[in-house]
Amino acid sequence: MAATANPVPLVHLGLEPGPFHERLIAHNRQQAWMNWMGYASPSVLDTVEFEYFAIRNQSTLFDISPMCKYAITGPDAEAVVNRLVTRDMRKLKPGRVAYCIWCDEDGQVVDDGTIFRYSDTEFRLCCQEPQLSWLEDIAWGFDVEISDVTREVAGLALQGPTSCALLKDLGLAGIETLKPFGIAEFKIAGSEVSISRTGFTGDLGYELWMDPADALNVWDALVAAGRLRGLRVIGYEALEMARIEAGFLLPKVDFLSAQTVLRANRASTPYELGLDWLVALDKPHFNGRRALLDLSKKTPRRKLVAIEIERDKPAHNALVYHRKTREVGMVTSALWSPTCKRNIAYAWLDAPYGQSVTDNLWVEIYLQKEIRWQRRMARCQLVDKPFFVHPRRAATPPADH
Amino acid sequence: MSPRYDAIVIGAGHNGLVAAAMLARKGKKVLVLEARTHPGGMLGDPEFRVAPLPYALRPEIAKALQLDQSMLYAAKPLEVLSFGADGLPVRVSGGLATGVDIATAEAYAALHTRLGRQAKALGAMLLETPPGLGKAKLSETAALARMALRMRLLGKTEMRDLLRIVLSNAWDLLNDEIGDGPLAGLLAMDATLGGAMGPRSPGTVLTLLYRMASHSPHGHGLRVMPEGGPDALVKALSDCVKAAGGEIRTASPVERILVDGDRAAGVRLTSGVEIASPLVLSNASPRVTLLTLLGVEHLDGEFVRRCRTMASKGMVARLDFDLASVPELRGGGALQSGQRLVVAPTMRTIETAFNAAKYGSLPDRPALEAVYDGAARRLSVSAQFAPHDLKGGWTDEAKARLSASVLSVLADALPGVASTVTGSRVMSPADIETGYGAAGGHWHHGELRVDQLLMLRPFDGAAQYRMPVAGLYLCGAGAHPGGDISGAAGFNAARAALRDGVH
Repeated sequence: MAATANPVPLVHLGLEPGPFHERLIAHNRQQAWMNWMGYASPSVLDTVEFEYFAIRNQSTLFDISPMCKYAITGPDAEAVVNRLVTRDMRKLKPGRVAYCIWCDEDGQVVDDGTIFRYSDTEFRLCCQEPQLSWLEDIAWGFDVEISDVTREVAGLALQGPTSCALLKDLGLAGIETLKPFGIAEFKIAGSEVSISRTGFTGDLGYELWMDPADALNVWDALVAAGRLRGLRVIGYEALEMARIEAGFLLPKVDFLSAQTVLRANRASTPYELGLDWLVALDKPHFNGRRALLDLSKKTPRRKLVAIEIERDKPAHNALVYHRKTREVGMVTSALWSPTCKRNIAYAWLDAPYGQSVTDNLWVEIYLQKEIRWQRRMARCQLVDKPFFVHPRRAATPPADH
Repeated sequence: MSPRYDAIVIGAGHNGLVAAAMLARKGKKVLVLEARTHPGGMLGDPEFRVAPLPYALRPEIAKALQLDQSMLYAAKPLEVLSFGADGLPVRVSGGLATGVDIATAEAYAALHTRLGRQAKALGAMLLETPPGLGKAKLSETAALARMALRMRLLGKTEMRDLLRIVLSNAWDLLNDEIGDGPLAGLLAMDATLGGAMGPRSPGTVLTLLYRMASHSPHGHGLRVMPEGGPDALVKALSDCVKAAGGEIRTASPVERILVDGDRAAGVRLTSGVEIASPLVLSNASPRVTLLTLLGVEHLDGEFVRRCRTMASKGMVARLDFDLASVPELRGGGALQSGQRLVVAPTMRTIETAFNAAKYGSLPDRPALEAVYDGAARRLSVSAQFAPHDLKGGWTDEAKARLSASVLSVLADALPGVASTVTGSRVMSPADIETGYGAAGGHWHHGELRVDQLLMLRPFDGAAQYRMPVAGLYLCGAGAHPGGDISGAAGFNAARAALRDGVH
């Protein structure tokens, strides 16, 4: 008997090519790919130093298409978005973007992301982790439609001091008047592109959102115009350096989503993350408000702080000590900042350290010198975020550099 | 806004009346708002009651409200007739079963005593606020500890036995102890009545124990129809509210619970009238109270999810038959007023009836509980299983089909009863839902099952009567300890509100 089987569509295994993949391949000398939400995303294309310095001195392109994107539209869209996040979204005007966090009923942070407001009734949420089921829970009972548009919108981050000049070269009239966190619609080489003055580098920069069908067309136009502006395609590693300097937190690295932790005490509150400024307790009820009200009156049991460390060795995965003896915390992200020329890190410190006790803190750094490990206790100081601040980030119009 | 009240109770069901009476007797100015034209909720409609057998009112509550105790003491414990496939009915009163062979009667008596003891130990929590999960108050934990202690005091063997059977199914337990038949059918009926579960479903021993945990002046586990029936009970509770200065307004459906600054501020009626009160107790089901009356915008998403996914599928239809003459029992004699009739010849017939309902169909032979009211010449039947989500909906045709199958099953126990029927009415779970604010048409406002009891009733995070919006309390059967006309939910809710203090 001949075996018969109904043909089953092949399940795609491995990484999926994103909308810019063809071009990324051409630039990716290292062929170092990483998995970002199922997309093949470059970790480094050429040399991380070149890519990093391009962020701070020229212009860079980074494919952010794998970001999770959700369209939230309908008469109750504002109510739903306001119910989701801790910031007061009634104050967000159409054509503006806001960085937000959202919490579970215990006031623990679920994720962070940016909310784009296109009109009174149209929003888009961009974030790292899938949130559809969470959004559906939040929106239940409201007149709103939520759809996952991750695969329907291609995104490119164009970041760096010459990024505005590059866009002007492409004939984008009025791009220089776009303020930080503003959104405007433009055409690049005939393709519709929505541009927001946002980014993950703490520098002058833009994010470009388009139909995936237009992705390569827009890419080619940008790369052509970028020749005289020092444009360089970058990967994740360079961006990671810039984001630490810029004071941005990374989920799964600096904190864990309350939705993914197995141990309940591994989740974090906005107060522990130092994101108090994002919590508007005076707005109408939002998810976690009652728990946050209680938490706001208490001392956080631990706190994520920015520290600056003596000498030059980055404190990856280091433990933090008080008086060199008592273990009081740990480092999550660490970097020798080439631009700031400072040894910087984020660290979790258990109360009261980092809150009422801030002196005599030491970081235990392990160094390997030709297969021999060396331990170094380096003094650290609490400092304010961000580490990297430059007036061009907010200047409107930005200079051409 | 009209004059201010200290407390508003939404729904004049028996739990609402008990809560209102408790508050009024503590000097609160209480207003009870009832959507229907009569107080008493599911007990209250003399034309067609959802609950014709209010036999579980806790004597502690009657005492606390100083109700006329004779109403409960004068009445005799209920006698039950359970019909097998043939022969005379088994007559059961408490642990005494007649009409079965001696060995079965003895085994039944022993089982009844044992389960009764275990139920009494479990029942220690019924008149207490269940502890919060993760953040229990000391007093709440103490109540749980008392229950654990009582379980331990059963002795090692019996506690072990309780822990062995408590999550298992009635089918196995009853087959082991007394064998299948009308006696097991009766107990399995008690274990499954109202639930979306058959005798083989896990957790049905617990629901049986839960039912046996009821308390009467005649002792634990015994049931008593109050003297004068449901009307007398409703009147006694209503009078108690009024005597303490409370006010009951019927035909006043509430449209919205008003919130001001994250606190309950009163209610708005469908007429548009707003009535202010810092304390609102709702006797409507949790889903109706929270999702419809309060509004999801005041609640966290996870809380709303747990509320909307709460199991509350109604599985019982109520049928009333007006009879021209007193029904004759198979094997001779007449069905007496107030006797409880059960037609569930074996556990297997109940399980078979459940099988159809699981998939949204009506069973060919439903399992029945019935009681005859001699004064009104009316036979009131509860038929299971009649799923709320019946395929094709609860059309007149579906009701007629159910009515015919119920009469055909009844004819086994009461030969010729069909020919004496002069009128009939059918109330589906869908009717119970729309008529009584019970989401899903469940007469207990939510299934009584192991994952919806104690600190998980009605659902995790809502078990202490007080809701996230300060000043709002659940006081209905959806809250611990659930339905069965015991009044305990209303009693506990009122005490929780009083304990929480000034509003």
